[in-house]
Amino acid sequence: MNGEEASSAYMNASAIPNDIRRDLVALLPRLRRFALAVTGDALTADALVQDVCARAIQKSHHWKGKGRIESWLFSLIRTAWSDETKKRGNLGPAEIGASQSADAHGPATRTLLCLPEGFAGTLLLADVEHFDYAEAASILGISAELFASRLCAARLHLSSLPPEPMERRA
Amino acid sequence: MTVANVEPSALEKRLSSFVDGQVSDTERQDIEALLVNDPEARILHDGLKRGGDVGRRLFDDMLKEPVPLDLVRGIKNAPLPRKAVRLPSAPRPMAFKPSGPQTLAACLATLILGGGIGYMIGTQPLGVTSPQLVQSSTAATRDWFDDIVAQYRLYTRQDNRMVEIGADRPADILQWLTTGTGVTFRIPDLNESGLTFLGARMIAADNTPTGILFYRRADADVGNDIIALTFSKVRPETSKPAEDIRIDTGLVSWSTPMATYVVVGPSSAADLDEIAAKAAGLI
Repeated sequence: MNGEEASSAYMNASAIPNDIRRDLVALLPRLRRFALAVTGDALTADALVQDVCARAIQKSHHWKGKGRIESWLFSLIRTAWSDETKKRGNLGPAEIGASQSADAHGPATRTLLCLPEGFAGTLLLADVEHFDYAEAASILGISAELFASRLCAARLHLSSLPPEPMERRA
Repeated sequence: MTVANVEPSALEKRLSSFVDGQVSDTERQDIEALLVNDPEARILHDGLKRGGDVGRRLFDDMLKEPVPLDLVRGIKNAPLPRKAVRLPSAPRPMAFKPSGPQTLAACLATLILGGGIGYMIGTQPLGVTSPQLVQSSTAATRDWFDDIVAQYRLYTRQDNRMVEIGADRPADILQWLTTGTGVTFRIPDLNESGLTFLGARMIAADNTPTGILFYRRADADVGNDIIALTFSKVRPETSKPAEDIRIDTGLVSWSTPMATYVVVGPSSAADLDEIAAKAAGLI
């Protein structure tokens, strides 16, 4: 083909070497888990993840490739959920989650969803996703002191649970 | 302790931060000394670690739940933000700037033509539709791209009969398809895009001989994805590069003065446009 003969045209495409859609698909289970920890309900979490992924694709140019992309995506999820709860009015995240999902999950999820509001996300970011306190607090939109306090309380809560259900599961 | 309402004690918080290494060196030494000398602090420390372990295990279990397929498809098929990628296309015609008399003549011609067509439609009896009209409207809904998609879907399912000439005979492919389609081309090496050339065949699309080069994706996570690159002398009405999805099949096309090219793949393939941009420079 003679490229010089042909004039050029523009099309809808991306020249980003790593397509963010691939990253999103790879991270999907963890994004759902974080969304579930934040919202307390699987259906709400999936809808939230879908919405946030669409936003992330459209705003992928905002992601400069510095740090962990999860940090950016988790922040988007938390922000989107904050906006959603404001729209919903009086129902807080804990109440919404508890009312919709009490028996709809497996024992692992149920145990985590029974934690007081804000504890599950804190525990997830520190103990599972291994964010440091400052970054995790920033993702959750709270102070580092409050984050440390919630994390401590969440650990104490889980350590106080009877071992039986855990052992049976394990 | 009722966790929901009671703030952890200062010692509990210090120990929790110590578990995560989020303490200064001095603080760390203090806590290490405390753990040696204070059995209660040791119990608290072990409890905090156990709580963290329990949480980790519970969260790990959550990952075992299957991810809804709709969610995956939604992401894979989501359009990327508009970003300019240059693909070759047919040259634009010379700018036409009609003069006053030309404009007037064109208006008159349109008026006469419109009036004539309106008169003919008006004289047709109601409720009677010409079989020819029905046939042509059906044909109009089907175009060259539909033929390409149909052939792609047919042959990519014939794993052992996908190509007529294999990749080991590139000279035969070039001679055969150049003669058959009238398009001079090269076989693009798309290894950098993770695509291995499999071979070629010739098909008829919109009654025009069309060459297809088949490639298989090498990376494991997309399995047996087949990408096809087709070329033909046919010229669609619009020569602009276009992306389309038909029957779960993605298409990216572009044209040059010599031919029209289409990269075809599963609609879940997020990089068809990148492959097309690469192939356009190599073919």
